Amino acid sequence: MIGMIMFGVALIMLMFGFPVAFTFGGVALVFGIYAEGMDLFAFMPYRIMSVMQNTVLMAVPLFIFMGVVLQRTKLAEQLLTSMGRLFGGLPGGLAISTILVGALLAASTGVVGASVVAMGLISLPVMLAHKYDKRLATGTICASGTLGQIVPPSIILIILGDVLGLPVGDLFRAAVGPGVLLIGLYIVYILILTRLKPQTAPAMPKDDDSISRGKEIRDALLAIIPPLALIIVVLGSIFTGIATPTESSALGGIGAVVLALIYRQFSFKMVWDAAKDTVSVTAMVFAILIGATAFSMVFSYTGGDYLLEEWLLMLPGEQWGFIILAMLVILILGFFIDFVEISFIIVPILAPVAEALGINMLWFAILVAMNLQTSFLTPPFGFSLFYLKGVAPPNVRTIDIYKGIVPFILIQILVLALIVIFPEWFGMSSTY
Amino acid sequence: QDTFTLKLAETWGPNFPIFGDATKSMAQMAEKMSNGRLKIRIDSANKHKAPLGVFDMVKAGQYDMGHSASYYWKGKVPNTLFFTSMPFGMTALEQYAWFYYGDGMDLMQEVYEPHNMLSFPGGNTGNQMGGWFRKEIKSLDDLKGLKMRIPGFAGEVFAEVGVNPTNIAPGELYTALERNTIDALEWVGPALDLRLGFHQIADYYYTGWHEPATELQFLINKRVWERLPADLQEILRVAMRTAAYDMLIHSQHENAKAWANIKQDYPNVQIKNFPDDVFQAMYDANQKLLKEAAGNNEQAARIVKSLEDYQRDSRAYTRISDNAYLNTMAEIE
Amino acid sequence: MYWIIKLDKSLAWLSKLCGVIACLAMILMAVNVFYDVVARYVFNDVSIAMQEMEWHLYSVVFLLGIPYALRTDGHVRVDVFYTRWSNKTKAWVNILGSLIFVIPFAYLIGRYGYSFALDSYQMGEGSGDPGGLPHRWVIKAVIPLSAVFMATAGLNMVTYAIRVLAGEKEYVGEHSAGGLA
Ligand code: NA
Ligand code: NA
Repeated sequence: MIGMIMFGVALIMLMFGFPVAFTFGGVALVFGIYAEGMDLFAFMPYRIMSVMQNTVLMAVPLFIFMGVVLQRTKLAEQLLTSMGRLFGGLPGGLAISTILVGALLAASTGVVGASVVAMGLISLPVMLAHKYDKRLATGTICASGTLGQIVPPSIILIILGDVLGLPVGDLFRAAVGPGVLLIGLYIVYILILTRLKPQTAPAMPKDDDSISRGKEIRDALLAIIPPLALIIVVLGSIFTGIATPTESSALGGIGAVVLALIYRQFSFKMVWDAAKDTVSVTAMVFAILIGATAFSMVFSYTGGDYLLEEWLLMLPGEQWGFIILAMLVILILGFFIDFVEISFIIVPILAPVAEALGINMLWFAILVAMNLQTSFLTPPFGFSLFYLKGVAPPNVRTIDIYKGIVPFILIQILVLALIVIFPEWFGMSSTY
Repeated sequence: QDTFTLKLAETWGPNFPIFGDATKSMAQMAEKMSNGRLKIRIDSANKHKAPLGVFDMVKAGQYDMGHSASYYWKGKVPNTLFFTSMPFGMTALEQYAWFYYGDGMDLMQEVYEPHNMLSFPGGNTGNQMGGWFRKEIKSLDDLKGLKMRIPGFAGEVFAEVGVNPTNIAPGELYTALERNTIDALEWVGPALDLRLGFHQIADYYYTGWHEPATELQFLINKRVWERLPADLQEILRVAMRTAAYDMLIHSQHENAKAWANIKQDYPNVQIKNFPDDVFQAMYDANQKLLKEAAGNNEQAARIVKSLEDYQRDSRAYTRISDNAYLNTMAEIE
Repeated sequence: MYWIIKLDKSLAWLSKLCGVIACLAMILMAVNVFYDVVARYVFNDVSIAMQEMEWHLYSVVFLLGIPYALRTDGHVRVDVFYTRWSNKTKAWVNILGSLIFVIPFAYLIGRYGYSFALDSYQMGEGSGDPGGLPHRWVIKAVIPLSAVFMATAGLNMVTYAIRVLAGEKEYVGEHSAGGLA
């Protein structure tokens, strides 16, 4: 029960505005010492070492570096505004461009911290400069940055493959449909919203009223090419096997510096400043990871995992009741604990029940993955929200991000429901 | 009467098949045989988050017991390497005989003693497969420059014959093999390989030579062991030994089942032996590396000699018994 | 007050030093990973030692980056109330948070991290992989080192808050946009 009380206390403490990472770590410390004594924290070096040796997370600083360099050299701005221009007089062009760039990044990494922060650096300043509604801007970035979880390659699918004993390749293939639908629905949402409330996402002004639409498109396309080429190099290096997804992030960082060189924006000072920003933002992300690992350590060593297990075994033993309640449980838990914990604690308990009910495990895995993606976005503990807040300018408030994300969470729940009801749309069946 | 609850940290994730079943069955047996006086609580990698920290955590007493593989500690205590499985070494049956009737157990305790731990055999995977290759290996030349994920001592042997051992995060192995970032990888055997889907992206499945009998281990902190009364020590010893043997037959069962599935659903998968010249070169490289290891360490020299002597005699008998029988069977089938 | 200012500046200097080392590690890491990809793809050459160096550098980036970001106020805060509070209230939040959360947390990580690294040193631990890096204790020692600097950065939050309470400094914005300073 201590674990549950700890959640509540952490929630209250966060409101005081002390840095999130140390609030997590500190609350864990107080409860951990109270329940188990100081020696519980002898596990901390091992847990930090695990983060150090988790080379997949190396993509975080490297993608952030790419994002910072693109931002500092104004190449990101050029990419997004040109893409936005392609949409002509259509409002919401920048938001749609952001979603598309987010989708590309998602296809090159499965690390949410990396893509949310990179997207935040690249497109938040641009959208705000073009008078976008703060909520729409932040919601779009969090949602499209989190796409990396469901669009393969994805860490969560690999973990679920391991936990459920399913081939990773099957999972990757099955996740493509839902991922594409999600991207499509985000765009549809932007289109509808801007039709109803154009002022939330003003159309890009023309540079010069006299130029023709044809020339405008041509100029925009020309301006897009260099930064887009960079993203394609990153993606291409993965698809052709030149680099692993993690390594591709280094190609992106070095590539961004090369682009800067080509555009005569390069200076050693620029690289050094970019490194400083990168270190600061990386530290913010990893401090949260370390604080959260202390938190989940205290949670599970004080018996929180056993308690959850007991609760879960009370779920109904009938297919639809089970699926719906299981999804609700994961969604609600996703508000509080992170996806790795859910995959390793909750999923193994649910899996045998699902199997006994004759549920297609591939379908089940995709449902869980979709659902876990949402857990990154649900307040108060959704990590994507913290990550974006960490790189947002001061006038973007936590509350703006919390409100901005709501429509996107609803879209995700909609897609989840569609996969539950119409598995055949996604080339799956609900049972064997 | 006192009851004892021991905390065990395992390297594997929760519900990891076969390996994880071995710890669970050991814990169940110990509890039943002791009529509930000896309880073992298993924490999987998701809980302690330190799959390769099991050695240190048991040594420091943060956990009472561990379940892992001895060769993972090679970087810390080089001579722990010899108690898992050696390239061109003994089969599971031969190696168990070495542990329980030869010098194996004594040598192992000697290596672990300075670290305040006891180590016991913890279950065997049987002969591991030589790995998944996307191209056929027809000669030694095909191995030159081949990028392969193969850790540990076997990696060093492969490196001697021109392979480039490569580190890839486990989460990226599938993508790396699929897209030719690496050309080959080794994992365990059909039952566990099937889960990762390598059979969908690589056609050539090579037979094993590098880990003919991978033995896992139970670790126990020595102070904890000495605190246990004699009857519970014996119960624990028997539970560990039974669980270890059970894992060997469990592996055989699951691998046979998985292989039947792969054969049926993926006719593209071909079983291959490395050509003779490749085997010869790897054998020579192995001998050379073993000599090097034994050359600068007295304890290593004794262990290597014990392994070699035991294998020579034991193998002579295997040849005229199981080996002869399998050959005869192969001819008439 | 004079010695508080002096202490504040010295502590800030320590965090900045961490930042400089982390920045160097950051640039070296990007080059290192890039080099490894090129070496593997173009020269068909893989060095396990260079591959391990990647995560050694990456660890330095975030472990020493954390104290640096404490100084630059780069760690994200939930600002539902924080922005509206006066400098004085903010100072108290930071003093209490630092004394109750940051410094004890750093103390425990440092204390247990020290024995963690010491044990590795005594065993002469190195990589278990072919051609890997020796002296694993060096990178493990960065954990307690980071904890020491986390503690000094925590103390630095207190000294800065005291300067704010004395009316000599104030909090500019609620944080500097992810430390983009
Ligand atoms: Na992805
Ligand atoms: Na293996």
